[in-house]
Amino acid sequence: MSRDGKYRVLVVDDESSVLITYRLILEQQGYAVTACRTSSEAIAAVEQEDFDALLCDYSLEEQHTGFEVITAARKRHPELPAALLTGYATLETVDEAQLKSIQVMFKPIEIEEFLATTSKMLRRNHESDAKANREETSEPQSTSEGGGRRDRGARHRSSTGPVKR
Amino acid sequence: MATAEVRFQPERIDARRVHAERRPAAVRLLEAERSEEIFPLLLEEIIALGFPRALAVDINFDSGEIAPAAALKWPRHNLERFVSALWTSEHQLVQVLHTARPAILQKSNLHNRPIYIHPIVYANRNLCWEADRIRTGACLAVQNFRKEKKIRLEEQVCATCEMRAYAAVLVVEVPRNVSQAAIAELAELIELANRYLSRLFKVEHYYNRMRDMEITIAQMGTVMQSMADPVILTDTQHRVMMQNRAAERFFKVPDEMTEGLVRAVELNNLLFSAALSSMLVSGTDSHRDLTLVDAIEGEEMLFEAVSAPTYGLDGIQIGTVTVMRDVTDLRRADQELRTNYERLREAEEVVRQDRDRLNLIIENVGDPIVVCDREARIVLVDPLAHELFGAPHEAPRNAAQFKNQTQLNAYISNFTYSFTERESAPLKLYNPALRQEIEYEIRSGKIFDEAGQVVYTVSVLRDLTALKKVEQLKVERRMLEIEKFAATGRLAATIAHEVNNPMEAIKNAIYLLAGSIPETASPVYNILKSETERVARIVRQMLGLYRNTEQVKAANVNIIIEDTVLLLSRQLQRANVEVETDLGVLPDAWIAADQIRQVLSNLVINSRDAMPNGGRLIIRSRHVPNPDGLRGWIRILIADTGSGIPPELVRSIFEPFVTTKGEKGTGLGLWIVKGIIQNHGGRLSVKSKVGGGTVFKIDLPVVKL
Repeated sequence: MSRDGKYRVLVVDDESSVLITYRLILEQQGYAVTACRTSSEAIAAVEQEDFDALLCDYSLEEQHTGFEVITAARKRHPELPAALLTGYATLETVDEAQLKSIQVMFKPIEIEEFLATTSKMLRRNHESDAKANREETSEPQSTSEGGGRRDRGARHRSSTGPVKR
Repeated sequence: MATAEVRFQPERIDARRVHAERRPAAVRLLEAERSEEIFPLLLEEIIALGFPRALAVDINFDSGEIAPAAALKWPRHNLERFVSALWTSEHQLVQVLHTARPAILQKSNLHNRPIYIHPIVYANRNLCWEADRIRTGACLAVQNFRKEKKIRLEEQVCATCEMRAYAAVLVVEVPRNVSQAAIAELAELIELANRYLSRLFKVEHYYNRMRDMEITIAQMGTVMQSMADPVILTDTQHRVMMQNRAAERFFKVPDEMTEGLVRAVELNNLLFSAALSSMLVSGTDSHRDLTLVDAIEGEEMLFEAVSAPTYGLDGIQIGTVTVMRDVTDLRRADQELRTNYERLREAEEVVRQDRDRLNLIIENVGDPIVVCDREARIVLVDPLAHELFGAPHEAPRNAAQFKNQTQLNAYISNFTYSFTERESAPLKLYNPALRQEIEYEIRSGKIFDEAGQVVYTVSVLRDLTALKKVEQLKVERRMLEIEKFAATGRLAATIAHEVNNPMEAIKNAIYLLAGSIPETASPVYNILKSETERVARIVRQMLGLYRNTEQVKAANVNIIIEDTVLLLSRQLQRANVEVETDLGVLPDAWIAADQIRQVLSNLVINSRDAMPNGGRLIIRSRHVPNPDGLRGWIRILIADTGSGIPPELVRSIFEPFVTTKGEKGTGLGLWIVKGIIQNHGGRLSVKSKVGGGTVFKIDLPVVKL
């Protein structure tokens, strides 16, 4: 969790245009978003920082997969909630994801589903917080486009946004 | 034919002697009324002539015996010498007899004094009545009288009246110096007596003949009466002269006269008379059918009448004898026999044709056919089966036939004692033509006897290799189709994948722009948003095809159904849809499991979408085998209690981009389903009722390979 109490979310996708829009949408929701284009970049990020959730494209550069990133991140935080975003997935991939408690979302992803899944992942991981009202108030409060990691700290902690314990 | 016999009554000879008066010998001999009275009278007359002793010796033609018949003053002890037989030629009496002329024996071993021996034989100066009537000279009496030839005793039967002659020898003791005159007188007396005797003999013969004839007539009458068939003797005018009882039934007016009976008899007589006339015209001995009325029973009876003319002794026809045979039953039986025979021949013809046809079928059926008896022994084979098993009732000729017979025997034995009437099973046999073991399908039926026991089993073998080859080809072609479809799908998916990421970015961007669109641009923004979403859905659908890269292989559809239901169970539960699966036992099908999974999930999701307020979803699977036991179908039914499909859409539901879900649907789901099913050689149909739910029926082919 970031210092300002926002949930920290890592988004990985090799398509930069997609990556940017994901980041913007998540930031709009008041998350502290880190966006990476490659698996190596992402693995480096998870080794350095702690994240509350991982949203990862399945197919990454050069045959790398989102599993690698998630596995790397869970070395530090075994319970880390994660979701695979994919255009297609074989049954084996889905099975593997389920086995590892990884959510799977198929592109094109309905944004409502995307956001609901993300918030549910975070909430489930913080059930002890008993933030029953958070879901109702998790509507985007700020539409300011701070963009990027730098803005993470700048985002105010809204009373209705994702709240850190 | 009875012939008069010379009978002697020696005891009465003495009686006659008592009142013998001395009258002329000729007159005295005339007193004899019977032939047997002649000899005693003659002997007396000989003694009266002054000869001391006389003896009459009779010759029996039947036995050939010669024995004294009457004797006067002859010493009794001496009589034995005159007992002899015709064939004892050394006997002096016999010697004289054969000469048929009188002789004087001065010395003989017959008597101690000289004897005169005079043979006599049936003879007469005049023809007898019979010969006289028919004007023939062949009268034995005259012939003997004339002594034209030597008398042979064995020939002494009259050719005309069949009378057997008699012969006898008179033996008279004469003085040593007897005079010629005395002998002449004696001979004359004997000849006179012989003439009388002949005459008496003839009368007796005729009397006997008459008696014989009476007996014969009586016998014939009995014979005639005892005949069951009517026999009628008619005169030349066709008047009935004589008839037996059987004939009276038809031709005699009965005692109790009823009009009907009289008329029947009159009719019979008329018919008979007419028949006789026509028969006599047509020939001497003819027969014809005659229908008469039984006067007592009143029934019509059919007779076969055989008529023969009867002739008098003079050769003139005196009448006609008709014998009638009741052929009513015979004709009826004959008719019946004829009909039955015809019927039999027809039936035989039908059977023969059937058999020929059957043989033709058996020979041309193209599949081996074997008929076995209840002991599973081969009794009949067609040429093809002959190659496999050898000839019936013969030991197998080679190892292959032995093996095949063993296989067949095991199967047939099992089948014969099974409870099924028909059975089909695979049977591996060695095919000598192909030189390899081949799987046949053997189909057998039973033939029962009247007691319900199996007498024969008939089996037809089908070589499944050819059929299987065809099916194999079909499967291969189908696999190719599926592969092609998958390739198309892959291409579509590849494109979709390429489109997908830009799509994702565009969609996200539109979302992000939501708050910053001026009021006036809002409709345009909405179009942009909804159309993008539509493209996104299409892309998602197309991406689904990309997964269909799996190989075609034998798989159990039930497992795919269970997988799909499990995969979608959460969604369905959320939609408040109750799922019921009813899965039958299925054989494996050659399918691309992933494609079928997509089919099922498309249909299940459609059902879910059709039941926004929840409902029931039933998935049922069944194996539907073909009668040939080789092919068949796997039938999958997917039924829901949803909103149903409007009738106008049912026809086009499988066309691309047709949807009932409005904006939410892509119109690709059922089109893809249809494509997949068709590629699998299957059938797809739908039944739906608006508000009543929808049933999709899928038939996937299965082949036993």
